[in-house]
Amino acid sequence: MKRDFLSRTIFGVLFICAMCNLKAQTPIDGIMMSKNSVCTALTFTQDNWDHYWEGTLKRDNGNIGVAQRQTIAPMFSWGITDRINLLGSINWVRTHATQGQLAGVSGLQDWNVWLKFKALQAGNWSLYAIGGASGPASNYLPDYVPLNLGLGSYEGSLRLLTEYDFGQGFFGRAFAAWHLRSNTTIERTYYYTTQGFYSDKVDMPNAVTYGATLGKWLLDDGLRLELSLDGLYTTGGHDIRRQDVGFPSNKMVFLRAGGMARYHFPPSNKIGLFVSAAQVLEGRNVGRSFLWSGGVLFQFYK
Amino acid sequence: MKSFSILICLLACIAGLWVSCEKNIPTQLEFSHYEFSESDANGGTWKPVLLTSASQIGIPAPQSTSSASYLAELADVKAASSQLTAQQRAAVEYWGNNGLLRWNELARELAAKYNLPPAPNPDGTYGAPDPANPDRYPQFPFAHPPYACRMFAYWSAAQMDALISAWHYKHLYNRPAPYKVDNTIQPHLPVSDLPSYPSDAAVVAAVSEAILGAMFPLEKAYLNQRALEHKNAALWSGSNVWSDVTAGDSLGRAVAAVFLARASTDGMRNAQAPKPVSDSLAAAALLYRGTKWVNLEEPPRPVGITPLFGRVKLWCVPNVEAVRPPQPPAIGSPEFEQAAAELRDIAKNLTTEQRRIANFWSDGIGTYTPPGHWNRRATELIVKNRYNPLRSARTYAYMNMAVMDAGISCWDAKYYYHYPRPIQAIPGFKTILGTPNFPAYTSGHSTFSAAAATVLGHIFPSEKQTLDAWAKEAADSRLYGGIHYRFDSEEGLKQGRAVAAYSVAIAIADGAE
Repeated sequence: MKRDFLSRTIFGVLFICAMCNLKAQTPIDGIMMSKNSVCTALTFTQDNWDHYWEGTLKRDNGNIGVAQRQTIAPMFSWGITDRINLLGSINWVRTHATQGQLAGVSGLQDWNVWLKFKALQAGNWSLYAIGGASGPASNYLPDYVPLNLGLGSYEGSLRLLTEYDFGQGFFGRAFAAWHLRSNTTIERTYYYTTQGFYSDKVDMPNAVTYGATLGKWLLDDGLRLELSLDGLYTTGGHDIRRQDVGFPSNKMVFLRAGGMARYHFPPSNKIGLFVSAAQVLEGRNVGRSFLWSGGVLFQFYK
Repeated sequence: MKSFSILICLLACIAGLWVSCEKNIPTQLEFSHYEFSESDANGGTWKPVLLTSASQIGIPAPQSTSSASYLAELADVKAASSQLTAQQRAAVEYWGNNGLLRWNELARELAAKYNLPPAPNPDGTYGAPDPANPDRYPQFPFAHPPYACRMFAYWSAAQMDALISAWHYKHLYNRPAPYKVDNTIQPHLPVSDLPSYPSDAAVVAAVSEAILGAMFPLEKAYLNQRALEHKNAALWSGSNVWSDVTAGDSLGRAVAAVFLARASTDGMRNAQAPKPVSDSLAAAALLYRGTKWVNLEEPPRPVGITPLFGRVKLWCVPNVEAVRPPQPPAIGSPEFEQAAAELRDIAKNLTTEQRRIANFWSDGIGTYTPPGHWNRRATELIVKNRYNPLRSARTYAYMNMAVMDAGISCWDAKYYYHYPRPIQAIPGFKTILGTPNFPAYTSGHSTFSAAAATVLGHIFPSEKQTLDAWAKEAADSRLYGGIHYRFDSEEGLKQGRAVAAYSVAIAIADGAE
């Protein structure tokens, strides 16, 4: 029996992007690439859960065991100007359940692009606006929860992000983002949520994501450590009914805590490594995921 | 700052376009009221299913159209229909002049709503729905395919008998519709020559409320409200006066009672057999047929879905032995190994089209089930052929009686042979559809679909090729989903066609053709 899951398009991406950098670039940090410099990164993420929330009921499922999801994502960041950066990534995903009879799937999930704009800098305080778009990169089936590759909808997002430099290498950051999602398409022409629908189109709830981070630069700015809280809240959607199968348009909520370390090798600082981990603390119609991630990044200067 | 504002504006515009492009997703089949292709004036002479005759249930003779009481009713209709509120107009549009179609849709909706298996308890046991305590978890019913096919069969067979009786009285009493008595009444629906006493809308609403209320006891209040709206809409539209409605209502209730009496003794109450009975069926199959299916869920469900559904009373087939399929290949035999190799190959090389077909026909948990899928097809064909309510009910009735007989005979084979599913018999095999909680042979989808397609192909001969192709696709879909062997599907199709032949033979002789 299929079960609930985590929304990939939104925070899979957040996660992947919680990394690339050196002196620059992710959709959720306050670092900009300088003009004409390019950074590339390759990241791997493992996401496991053995409990999930069926509506608000926390439960396990013997026909899933541990739901596993691996994501490999190449990404790039390019300084168009010192204040405008273009970022992009594409995700390859593999899913697997350790128990039960459902076959896992693998393939290209979603592409993502962001335009990051440094709007303000006033003393130690800066403000950024990041516009994003994403969409399916293959014809994967969203109606295969929890082993689906993704939600299958196109998404536009606007993120406002602010960062404050406390001095002595300490910084704080907060963001909020609005995600507008298109209908997704399934392969059935009738489905029941809180009522029946005679279509293969599914109205997807929009979503809000938010987060706050405290961080510190160490080792002459060669090492960055961060602690974060972040979350997602769909503005709509419906609960999974008792013992029902999850569905792309479920209401999804979670709050997650995590940490990250990133190191770049002196003297050039052109090669970096990062690791991160996060735990979902509370949720609704999502898995109680533990995620860890690692990656390498390489920066080209102009 | 300027470019920042431009960026925001651009994003807002994109968002606005995006939202405005999205259309509302339909929650019902999109059709409107239509002029009937024929009115079947001799419909009162058709042979009913359970009623001994069209006049078995009496209704009072109507007051004449010149009587004071009728004229008072007519004035009410005139007043109501001349100034409809937006809500009343929407109700008239929704129910149209063949509300049977909307009731079938409502039945499908309830089938989907209640198609959820019990969740496991913390100690690994499972509760069972209890008709005596329907609202205690797990709620009653669990509308799995056998439950759903039976619900559709009773609902539609009762509608046919009730409407045959209604047609009989309509033409016996010949009371004209209100808009024919008083030509200042503007009908809101297409006019017809059908006499209005008793109201066919009220018959349909009453039968639906009674049958669906018995099948989905937690929905009684909701069904009552929908039935009331349907009956009122008959008056608001100018089609009926209130005495037409009350006569139809009492006729519908009385016919539904005849069908519910059959339902109470048809064997369904014993179909969800207790574990000792279920175990003895498995032991007998292993001893005499050499195969034993087991549920592989975790925790395992102790009893499959309705092991004794094969003993429920049939509608048109004399007995299950008459349509029982032959012994399937022994596990490990060359025929079996060939079928297993085919499934492995399909799973390994699944095409986009095969995946689409598997999902399109999946009809699993939380859906209206395969019988619901075919009721939708029937509805679309009825609309396309502009059938009147009586002929619509007959279409649903013969199809759904065949579909229920198909279910009964299929379930007989399933627990007679107790044949393992691919996930049990093929080591390491995984599927893209959830494996249902009952044995493999024969495929329920195939049997239901062939039965439905055969009856509909008889009623709509020009659609026969398309219908047979759908049934074949539904049968194949189970291979693509990894939950049936080819011989499950092929024997299921044969079985479904054999079952439907009995229904078609009765249909040919019922006076409607």
